[in-house]
Amino acid sequence: MMTFFKWHFIVQRGAWAVLLWPFLFTKCIPLDCQDCPSISQEKLLDRVIQHAELIYRVSEESCTLFEEMFVPFPLRLQRNQAGYACITKALPIPSSKSEIQQISDQWLLQSVLLLVQSWIEPLVYLQTTLDRYDDAPELLLNKTKWLSGKLLSLEQGVLVLITKVLNEGMVSTSYTEQAIFQYDMQLDMLESIIKDYTLFNCFKKDAHKIETFLKLLKCRQTDKYNCA
Amino acid sequence: MFLHIPTKEVKPYELSLNTSHGTSLLKLACLCLYRKKQRGAKMKEMGLLLLFFSVACGKVTGLGPPGKPTLTNCRSPEKETFTCWWKPGPDGGLPTTYALYYLKDNSETVYECPDYHTAGRNSCFFNKNETSVWVNYNITVVATNKMGRTFSDPVDVDVAYIVQPHTPENVTVNVMEDEGWPFLRVSWESPHKADIRSGWITLVYELRSKMEGEEEWEEHFPGQQKTFNIFSVRSGSSYLVQVRCRPDHGFWSEWSPTTKTKVPKFFLGRSLWILILVFSILVVLILAWIIYMNCHSLKHSILPPVPGPKIKGFDHQRLKNGSYKDGLGALMIPEYPPSSSSNDDDLLVEYLEVFVTGEQDISMEEGKEIQDHYCKSESSTCDSDSGHGSCDSHTLLIDKCKETSKDELNSNCEDASEIIELEISQNNQDEKTLSYDGRPDTCNGRVKTWPSVFTPLPQYTLSAIPQKSSLEIVKQHCLSDTLFPPGSMSSNLVNQNESFGPSYWEFSLNSKQLPQIHSQSSKHLQAYSDINISKKDNEITTLFKSTQYVEVKNVNNKDMVLLQPVESGSQSHAEGCPHVHQGKDYSKVKGVNSDKMLLLESGVNVMGQETATCFCDKSETNHKHPPMQTVLPVQEEQKPFAANGYVDTATMFSVPM
Repeated sequence: MMTFFKWHFIVQRGAWAVLLWPFLFTKCIPLDCQDCPSISQEKLLDRVIQHAELIYRVSEESCTLFEEMFVPFPLRLQRNQAGYACITKALPIPSSKSEIQQISDQWLLQSVLLLVQSWIEPLVYLQTTLDRYDDAPELLLNKTKWLSGKLLSLEQGVLVLITKVLNEGMVSTSYTEQAIFQYDMQLDMLESIIKDYTLFNCFKKDAHKIETFLKLLKCRQTDKYNCA
Repeated sequence: MFLHIPTKEVKPYELSLNTSHGTSLLKLACLCLYRKKQRGAKMKEMGLLLLFFSVACGKVTGLGPPGKPTLTNCRSPEKETFTCWWKPGPDGGLPTTYALYYLKDNSETVYECPDYHTAGRNSCFFNKNETSVWVNYNITVVATNKMGRTFSDPVDVDVAYIVQPHTPENVTVNVMEDEGWPFLRVSWESPHKADIRSGWITLVYELRSKMEGEEEWEEHFPGQQKTFNIFSVRSGSSYLVQVRCRPDHGFWSEWSPTTKTKVPKFFLGRSLWILILVFSILVVLILAWIIYMNCHSLKHSILPPVPGPKIKGFDHQRLKNGSYKDGLGALMIPEYPPSSSSNDDDLLVEYLEVFVTGEQDISMEEGKEIQDHYCKSESSTCDSDSGHGSCDSHTLLIDKCKETSKDELNSNCEDASEIIELEISQNNQDEKTLSYDGRPDTCNGRVKTWPSVFTPLPQYTLSAIPQKSSLEIVKQHCLSDTLFPPGSMSSNLVNQNESFGPSYWEFSLNSKQLPQIHSQSSKHLQAYSDINISKKDNEITTLFKSTQYVEVKNVNNKDMVLLQPVESGSQSHAEGCPHVHQGKDYSKVKGVNSDKMLLLESGVNVMGQETATCFCDKSETNHKHPPMQTVLPVQEEQKPFAANGYVDTATMFSVPM
């Protein structure tokens, strides 16, 4: 099973490079252009979902890697200790199925966007902190770097999706709340490890959340998807 | 981390009395008791020891705080509810109760399990309202009894990662066909609780199958589909199929109950049946064609044709030609009977009776009777269809008339057989009169040679034989008009003194009519029939040198037969004229044995083919030789002459005397 997923991961990495190249233009060119290549909403949604699935898989692998490498054994079961809560806990994001079924599509997309944008910064931070460790494996570093880049692509895709779904103009929300993430470099090794470990876990959880939201959105959109 | 439980708190070390401690106390008590006993301990000390012992024993049997329970697993079937199970430790001998407490996501509030019963014993069920996804649950189980309580190790649970769905439902397997070959179509449904419709969970399926009796399963991955086709299925065997599912990030469900299907034997699709039908129709058509082609031969083999009637009916050709003069004539067989009322010359059939003067008298009536008899007999043996009315010449005798006479004849032949009857009056001893009428027995292809019977030479007659012997010869002509013109047959009396040309002497003997033949003549005849006749007389030699046909012209009043040799030089052959006869068919008399039987020999050769006389057309032929009329008295008293017409050399017949 794992080999299957790894192969699938490699294929998808290549596929994404091909599929999401139009997103490169969206950074430079305003979206309300008329010569831009357009893509259908369904295909876009599929691609976004695939993207989110991939991010979750990689984040899961990264967390496992970090845990095996750095986290001492007694601390492994206690993931939310020392008051390190997930940074996105404060965000107004539904956390149960009943809640999610009550909110609208637009709000669902907005929640996804919030989540994606809130994790851009911490992933950058994770890259820097991993360099501080002496024996951080190369694979972990690569994965973390990859995650950071893919998250940006996902943000762009969600933005386009919002535009299509909502038929609104581009909502440029550079949601940067530095207050949420306390960027502290003055920690000792153990605390830093615990903090990073918490970050990995939280990111994994939020990635799963993003994936689920997008899938819910997909099944809501049209009956032709036939999610049943 | 410690749970702040708002109940009486018991220090851990008090609760964790274990068996090892109790065992050591017991050993100590036993030792003290033994030593005390040895020292002669008093009863009071014994009681104390016993009390101490019982306390120690009580500790060994588990009367104390319960053991530490263990959370085995927590599972959510649909990511909306979840259940946790634990395994209780040793209960300490006392009734123990278990409680589950949990914390949510780093908050300080401790909650207790809302439902201990739904999921069974030692379980805790969290319903929808209490389940939050992507929230970290910190769960601890506490075992409590009278002696104390025990905490289990805490476990962190996130509902999103503990999803294990139920097994797929309604697994059905159908046998279908694809171009004549069977395959299995497996279809199933997702577990009813999993919410796939909204996309809350996406399930991935796995299928495995094997033939009944096999060891290993064959695995297939339909992905997110709910149907799957299994090809490479063998007819006549049963297959077992199982399905399971898994969420995109979660655990595999259990395998569904085995579904068994049997592929029927000789599974033929519709297209294959059509092919078989067409092929069989082709085979049937080919068989019918073969039978049709061989219709007749089959008919003959199965139903042999009915043989036609053997009775000879009318000659249709003659009927058409109208050759029958009257109606009665049509009804009659043509050559029956040859009446003697017509002209002698007109008669094709002439009956000549040769009477032997003297002892035997044969009346004309008898001759006539004989004639009739002959005719009848001959006509009976005649081939009436030939139109010739020719009779078998060799049927001299009455006996022979009835049968086998035909055997000598060619079937196609129109036998113009004549029975030469020579009556040689015994009176004319000196007369070399020989009346004969020779007419070859002519057939279509060959001229039947009549056995030539060498008549006794005149010398012979003169020398040896008394005069009285005479030969009766009954001659019958059974020649139809068509073949032989009336004038062709004439019997001429041969002059006595004339030497006649070589001709065949043909004699027919009637056994009836020649009873008078003397036995003496047989010897003589035999002597003569040694063929050295040429020595005797020049006439005779000349007579016997060459073959010549002689025909009877008429009978004079002296009872002598006038013979007329038939010209041998006839070159022309009339139509239908028979070919030159082969010489071998003629037979001449070799001798007469004691039984008055005429011995014939074959081998007389015809002189020449050209000289063969054709009697068909007498008028056209040239007469090379003047008709000679010689009458030869034949004096053999009794000798039975060979039959005229023709005598088959093979047949010997005896003339009764």
